[in-house]
Amino acid sequence: MKFLPRQWRIRLMLALAVVGPGFITANVDNDAGGIATYSVAGAQFGYSLLWSMVPITLALVIIQEMSSRMGAVTGKGLSDLIREEFGLRATFLLMIALFVTNFFNIVAEFAGVASSFQLFGIPKFVVVPLSALIVWAVVVHGTYSVVEKVFLSASAFYVAYIVSGVLAHPDWRAAALSTVTRPESAGFRNYGYLSMIIGLAGTTIAPWMQFYLQASIVEKGVTAKQYNASRLDVIIGCVFAAVVAWFIVVACAATLHSIGKYDIETGADAAMALRPLAGEWAYLLFAAGLFNASLFAASILPISTAYAVCEGLGLESGLDKRFDEAPAFYWLYTALIVFGAGVVLVPRFPLFRVMVMSQVANGILLPFVLIFVLLLINDRELMGKYTNSRWYNVVSWFTVGTMIALTIAMLAAQARG
Amino acid sequence: MSVVALSELLGATVRDATGSVRGRVREIAVEPQDHPTRIAFLIVKTADGERILPVTALKTAGVTVRAHTDVSGWDKYTPSDGVLLLKRDLLDQQIIDVHGRKVVRVNDVELQTTPVNSHIMLDVVSVDVGARGAIRRLSKGLVPQFTLRALLERIPPRVIPWQFVDLLETDPARRVKLKIAYRGLAQLHPADIADIVEDLPPAQREAVFETIDEEVAAETLEELDPDVKVAIVESLDKDRVADIVREMDPDAAADLLGDLPEEQSGEILQEMEPEERQEVTQLLEFGEHTAAGRMTTEFIAVAEHGTVDDAIEALKRFEGSREALATIYLTGSGQKLTGAVTLVRIATSSLATPLSQISEPYIACAPDTPEEEVAALFDKYNLITLPVVDEHDRLAGIITADDVITMLRHRG
Repeated sequence: MKFLPRQWRIRLMLALAVVGPGFITANVDNDAGGIATYSVAGAQFGYSLLWSMVPITLALVIIQEMSSRMGAVTGKGLSDLIREEFGLRATFLLMIALFVTNFFNIVAEFAGVASSFQLFGIPKFVVVPLSALIVWAVVVHGTYSVVEKVFLSASAFYVAYIVSGVLAHPDWRAAALSTVTRPESAGFRNYGYLSMIIGLAGTTIAPWMQFYLQASIVEKGVTAKQYNASRLDVIIGCVFAAVVAWFIVVACAATLHSIGKYDIETGADAAMALRPLAGEWAYLLFAAGLFNASLFAASILPISTAYAVCEGLGLESGLDKRFDEAPAFYWLYTALIVFGAGVVLVPRFPLFRVMVMSQVANGILLPFVLIFVLLLINDRELMGKYTNSRWYNVVSWFTVGTMIALTIAMLAAQARG
Repeated sequence: MSVVALSELLGATVRDATGSVRGRVREIAVEPQDHPTRIAFLIVKTADGERILPVTALKTAGVTVRAHTDVSGWDKYTPSDGVLLLKRDLLDQQIIDVHGRKVVRVNDVELQTTPVNSHIMLDVVSVDVGARGAIRRLSKGLVPQFTLRALLERIPPRVIPWQFVDLLETDPARRVKLKIAYRGLAQLHPADIADIVEDLPPAQREAVFETIDEEVAAETLEELDPDVKVAIVESLDKDRVADIVREMDPDAAADLLGDLPEEQSGEILQEMEPEERQEVTQLLEFGEHTAAGRMTTEFIAVAEHGTVDDAIEALKRFEGSREALATIYLTGSGQKLTGAVTLVRIATSSLATPLSQISEPYIACAPDTPEEEVAALFDKYNLITLPVVDEHDRLAGIITADDVITMLRHRG
């Protein structure tokens, strides 16, 4: 980097020092459930849903930015803040909901691990326990900086989806055009189309992300002064995650949709269907990407849940503590991994149903979490001069309001079957 | 005398002298300037705004609060910085449990009522950080009062007596008014203080370091994780940092300055005494991972022709760290290292014994010896201290075993 002027080099190093939490969080978001949803969206509606990527990414950036700002300014986790400002009872109920919701998510991730290896004919009884062990070992034996490097590498592996998107030989012009043009209003009268949009938004913004992102900003020791670089981290992460999602939709649109194969349900289905259409490499990359994404999310969810719940309830937590010093923390963490992975091993396990269940649980919890985030970020005693500006509040309340409306619509749709 | 929980008092109905309900308890206030534990007044939410009900006007305090004055005599409440509000400042907040040496979250606060003459006194006795307080609050209003009390009796309490509680307050002015001085915390071992500080959010860390004694702050800083150490030093103001660094051993000071950005370490150096500045600058010039980077320049050296008596005098005058006391080094002309005498030999020899007689063979290393080799020497020769000598055999400093242990732990 010698060719850069000194000041630029310093600035670049400062920026790199805080890169991580935002990038990782946005990428973990493309987990087993996310890949399934994007695949189905591409297979059923071709390029016609690509426009929704732009507003969804904006919403993601706005919500993530608030979480990371809160972490940098207060140095406290989201569950800590909720406890301090809203008391024990609200926190307790929220933590139970978070625990249950994240449990469903963890099951869905291990299901993703299982299904990706079933593509290669490797039974889940081998892969799932092995993955659970890896997840446990990485987190328990790694320090924050080691774990972060592992996670950043896992994030880079999402490029697999971009490559498999290219291998699918899409109609680039059509795809690009439908990303930037306003959708035709006729589409909104189609019930399936509308519920797909809701599904896309719902899978992109999940409640656990707010807890995880804020906690890792705090753990990384990002301060209010370094905050500008952190915001960049969030934006880059969200954009990269959106590009990956875009390529998944495009890959499925170019192949499955164009021959009229609409009936896929999961990421593994999509990989399988891609094989005869886009070739062996696209299939392999798609399947490997699914495994990577599922394992990645499965590594993050149990630990972040254990931290959030213990901190909110004032129980000892932290990997630097011994088992007898922080029993609740270790029990929660272990139980989430063991049962999360164990459930998947049950014979004739209804994989698709659990994925839907995890989305529903996310949907129920999300409005509460987002409202807490907005109330906290506007608390002047807490945030000082870092509260939302007026226009930012308008935008974020609008975003949160839309997200809540979409989620309620999704739940209503689920209830009707 | 009986104990009542803060969560039971909050929301309790308040009856005045006439016996009619006038409002509900909203807050409970201590005025630390007047008395460290005594409740000064309750804030009652009445139909006519928030009113102050002094504790001296209370007949009972429990599920219902009875006063022997009339509602018209209760003053209007205006917020003030100098009062500690138990619900706002304590409930659900983090505190330092000095006795248990950790940061904990408050689930409830226990108050003691004592009858005096015609009224009662209320004192904070302890904070509840266990399941009992949590369950009491979670089931409040959902389970009948006496069932709840019976249930709670069965749960073993986890309470911290009030004298072992250190409050966290980030506003310096308010800290003074509330008389928060971290006295309990400062009495702990610096290594324990460091563990506690690492568990706190940045603003609270800063608060602790702004408040505690410089000497304790200096020792604590040495024990902290390098990242946390740098973050704290960068957040404190320049004069405060200079005061703290002045209290540090030269090797620790050099370690700290080496971790800071150049601009800031330069500023701190400027604030130091010339002699100390020179020592620290010298240490800074050596690579961090060499013998010189790990050594301290505070050691005991006595002239080679001296006696045990001279050595004891030198021990008495020595102000450096205790780890450096294990061996007394003998130097000849021009500070050349010529011998080493262990503390044990000094203690077991008569005062007039010449030191050269009880001197033992010693191992020394060069300033640029890599730290791995230093560790190997400690291991091989079972050393407690290791002298570092320059190319002319002059004693430059010593490395102590505790530094080696730290180094080995951090490498893994």
